[in-house]
Amino acid sequence: MGDEYPTLFRSEGMSLIQLIVPREVAHDTIAELGELGDVQFKDLNPDVNPFQRSFVGEIRRIDEMARRVRYFTAQIEKEKDLIPIRPLYDSVPLVTVGPRAAQTIDELDTKLIEHESRLVRMNENYQVLSDRMKELVEARHVLRETAVFFDRAAGAEREIRTSFDDSSAPLLQHDDREAQFSGNAQFDLEFVAGTIERSRLPTFERVLWRVLRGNLYMNHTDIQEPFIDPQTGAETRKNVFIIFAHGDTLLAKIQKVAESMGATVYPIDSNADKRADSLREVTSRLEDLQVVLFNTGNTRRMELVTVGESLASWQDVVQKEKAIYETLNLLNYDVRRKTLIAEGWCPTRDITAIQVALRHATDESGTSVSPILRELPTKKTPPTFHRTNKFTEGFQTIMDSYGIASYQEVNPGLFAVITFPFLFAVMFGDVGHGLILFTAAIFMILRERQLAKADLGEIFGTFFFGRYIILLMGAFSVYTGLIYNDIFSKSLHLFRSGWDFPVAHSNETVVAVSNGHTYLFGLDPAWREAENQIIFTNSYKMKMSIVLGVIHMTFALCLQVPNHIRFNRRSDIWTNFVPSMLFLQCIFGYLVLCILYKWTVNWENATTVPPSLLNMLISMFLSPGTIDPDSQLYPGQGTVQVILLLIAMGCVPVLLIAKPYLQYQGMKKTQSQGYIGLHGDDTVGPPTDDQLEGEEEANGRVITEEDEDHEHHDFGEVVIHQIIHTIEFCLGCISHTASYLRLWALSLAHAQLSEVLWDMTIANVLGMSGIVGIVALVVIGVMWFTLTVFILCIMEGLSAFLHALRLHWVEANSKHYEAGGYQFVPLSFARLNEEAA
Amino acid sequence: MEALFFNVDSGFLEGIVRGYKAGLLTQNQYNNLTQCETIEDFRTQLSATDYGNFLSNEPPPISTSTIADKATQILVDQFNYLRSNAVEPLATFLDYITYAYMIDNVILLITGTLHERDTHELIERCHPLGVFDSMPALCVASNVEELYHTVLVETPLANFFRDSLSAAELDDLNIEIIRNTLYKAYFEDFHAFCQSIGGPTFDLMSRILAFEADRRSINITINSFGTELSKEQRARLFPTIGKLYPEGNNLLARADDVEQVKAACEGVADYRVFFDSSSSGPGGGSSRAPPNGSTAHLLGDLDDAIGVGAELEDRFFLHEVHLNKQVFLQQFQYAVFYSYLKLKEQEIRSLTWIAECIAQDARDRIHDFIPIF
Repeated sequence: MGDEYPTLFRSEGMSLIQLIVPREVAHDTIAELGELGDVQFKDLNPDVNPFQRSFVGEIRRIDEMARRVRYFTAQIEKEKDLIPIRPLYDSVPLVTVGPRAAQTIDELDTKLIEHESRLVRMNENYQVLSDRMKELVEARHVLRETAVFFDRAAGAEREIRTSFDDSSAPLLQHDDREAQFSGNAQFDLEFVAGTIERSRLPTFERVLWRVLRGNLYMNHTDIQEPFIDPQTGAETRKNVFIIFAHGDTLLAKIQKVAESMGATVYPIDSNADKRADSLREVTSRLEDLQVVLFNTGNTRRMELVTVGESLASWQDVVQKEKAIYETLNLLNYDVRRKTLIAEGWCPTRDITAIQVALRHATDESGTSVSPILRELPTKKTPPTFHRTNKFTEGFQTIMDSYGIASYQEVNPGLFAVITFPFLFAVMFGDVGHGLILFTAAIFMILRERQLAKADLGEIFGTFFFGRYIILLMGAFSVYTGLIYNDIFSKSLHLFRSGWDFPVAHSNETVVAVSNGHTYLFGLDPAWREAENQIIFTNSYKMKMSIVLGVIHMTFALCLQVPNHIRFNRRSDIWTNFVPSMLFLQCIFGYLVLCILYKWTVNWENATTVPPSLLNMLISMFLSPGTIDPDSQLYPGQGTVQVILLLIAMGCVPVLLIAKPYLQYQGMKKTQSQGYIGLHGDDTVGPPTDDQLEGEEEANGRVITEEDEDHEHHDFGEVVIHQIIHTIEFCLGCISHTASYLRLWALSLAHAQLSEVLWDMTIANVLGMSGIVGIVALVVIGVMWFTLTVFILCIMEGLSAFLHALRLHWVEANSKHYEAGGYQFVPLSFARLNEEAA
Repeated sequence: MEALFFNVDSGFLEGIVRGYKAGLLTQNQYNNLTQCETIEDFRTQLSATDYGNFLSNEPPPISTSTIADKATQILVDQFNYLRSNAVEPLATFLDYITYAYMIDNVILLITGTLHERDTHELIERCHPLGVFDSMPALCVASNVEELYHTVLVETPLANFFRDSLSAAELDDLNIEIIRNTLYKAYFEDFHAFCQSIGGPTFDLMSRILAFEADRRSINITINSFGTELSKEQRARLFPTIGKLYPEGNNLLARADDVEQVKAACEGVADYRVFFDSSSSGPGGGSSRAPPNGSTAHLLGDLDDAIGVGAELEDRFFLHEVHLNKQVFLQQFQYAVFYSYLKLKEQEIRSLTWIAECIAQDARDRIHDFIPIF
């Protein structure tokens, strides 16, 4: 079994292996196996809490390191100027296996701690400095803006004063006030000035208005440039405000409100000179600070650049180490013997490769004790592993997303490589559109290496992943396009047509005359101009879809047979496969034969009119045996149909009863012989293992071999299952055959759509002459091409893809695919990197 | 009828909230958590739950308050997600939930200001769900009227506040009265709102709100023993929607000691158990100091009668969890949103308690938390 060359036909043969690894080489062994990516480890301590496992300490340390690395990444990302991160393939690899591994990790750890503490310190300094700078900048703004208020206010005062002068006779206090205004202190109004976040300003104003009972005199202006928090990079916009009020209590209140609302209050003198002084002072301090800040920023940047040099390799190491220790935690640790015991699945073919890897790991680590590998006999179902390459991967994914195949089941993914693009092409048949798809796929395949590295985004990434599917879909579409004789809704005259049109006078309808030729391949181009083209292609495509559908379903049904043989259910061939096949063939196989026969008859020479096959099928059920002589296809049709119908009807009870009956018989037989189902030892191995097994037993049985759910067949369950299966199959045959008519519908829709597009755009400008004609042709041509690509190739393509998908998942897979397996997920560093990327 | 169109507006959110609820820690997970030796273990254990990596970017050592803060942050994020996707009347319903937190914040701030604490520190301690714009300005108020006219008039709390308007100075007793009046008004208003929604929402919410109201009445009564709060004043603080209303409330208003409180609660079968075996509770009579101050504030000050109060408090919590769990058995109603919030809050309290016990190495008391499932 294991010697078979791996195919996609069945999933790989798997073995349950046990590794006995000495503690010293455990880490290196897992590292080596991770590089190999071929072993899926089983959790041997499912009952143990995650934090009580053996290597939690290491994991925690690695987590800490990972946190530091994340911190560096975040810091680098936040930096406005781009800091280069040296890519992984370019950096010196950190060797974390071998005798010096522990030391390397220790060194890395200390290095990370150092960098972190340095960075944190610098950030703190930077933060303090920029906070101070922010304050100074704000203070400067406040000074400037308040100066504007004061100036304006002074102007206003003067106006008010003049107006007073004008309007009324001098009052008694006038002189006093005059003296006051002309004095040194221009205002004896007291005020609070400061800055506040713009978003809070309205609330602030409202609260103040209420606190001051409506007596609010407040001025505010926006500060144009935003303040940027160096830590988070968030922008805040602030406003300068100044509030005039009278009385200490009120001022204190305002101050308190301002502070609690997150505003910063700056002491501003009402004297203009003093204000100018402080402005000068603030500016000079600001300049000093800027220099310091610049230097700090520079050192910080330098530090980040150093970090960026090796960040990628750190990330890689940390990720791998974490995976290694998490795997080690799955193993069984025997403290007394200083050994770890691992169990896992691996492809049987790769056991030698794993053994080589183990030896390599031993050599690397420089110890003489090497891990021991042993194959365990088991009755558990192994995981499903299909070895795919970049070509088959896409097709396999299509089937895997329906369900993972049961272990060693016939894999529909293999056949999908051809059937999928073919069914797609039946719906998408057009040489031109097919060529567009084909070239797009060729382009993606040629630039595969570059594109694989780049981040393509989700949508284009999906297309790129399916590039080989697209390639085949394109190629097949060209083929079906040739058969339909369709290229951008026009036809090709590759060979001589079999019909001649007589020259038409005025508007009369002419009838084509056969000239004895037969068009060599595909549809005769003469049909393109014919008035009854639609009628012809309709009937042709409809019948073709039925023929293809029945062939596809028959094929899918046949795939049951290898499964029945492999899983030793030979009786199922007789109880399940043969009746289903007879049922399908007697009804729809017969229909297909009739279609083919009807095509071969030249109805012009026949005595009867061509019969409708649909009516024939219906009357086969409704009035068996009676055939209207006018619509008879061949002599003896009535008898044949009755026989077929009887066979088909006879199959239903067989399908329904045979399997449960056989099971019932078998059960009675075992019971009558006095056997009772035993919960026997599932893991009876070959005699050579018994000794080892015995040794383990003596040590208190190291491995937890939990019993797989015991195969207990309830008879009632079997009956119900079979009833459902029968109903589903018989009804399914009819609905599924009808479902294949979507091939016809979509193909027709595609052809019509491309014809409409041609008629609405290019056909209008082709006849034009002169410069206008050329310009119009270019403009409309470009428009036509874009619409062709987007509507016909991408949109229609996606819809055809969807329907091809459905035909595979529902119509074909339901005939044979059990899909009860689980995916093989080996520990693999390559996969780890993919996920991280 | 409400079931017919419920999903049009709120089906998505109900799905979300039921999903959130499925993420609540189970008894098994609590068991694992209580076995942790250190806070580091605790973090590892939590990362296997729905909390995920919420602590992974925290540099060690992790303090208990960080855990509580981060967990609360998760809750707040979830709530805000719900709130921003909500359609009327669910939006108002969710708003009503936040009013309780607003009341707490207001009381916290004015109490803090009264005792001259730093405003910023106080604001940080406020519950994020109850934050409103003009909240910081509360600290300027020196009497009740000012409080109302400066800040609260434009908040949704204004409605509740109208009843307690008086020019009285703010002192500890008055603040306590304000708090309870606010809560009374809040409960009654919320109750009325739920009534306007009707249907199963009202059925379930009235049950929960009735319990909350009664819990408050009982707490007020027990806490007022030996204070200068007169019995008439006390009677005025009792919400009128509880199961104890009216005769139980009347008895409570006249009660002079815990025995009489017990007698007052006799009338309601559910409440009888609270006092039944007061001596042999889950805590074994040991007084249980809440891990952080905020728990006490949520309930009103229980410091006075801590012997009875602490145990009573546990039973109240148990009953609350029980009621909130039941809510999830019915569909097409808004009470799930309220209940999820309360359950999650309880879970955070339990987590904090466990973490605190681990940090202080008080292993014997680690099982005193209240599990949900």
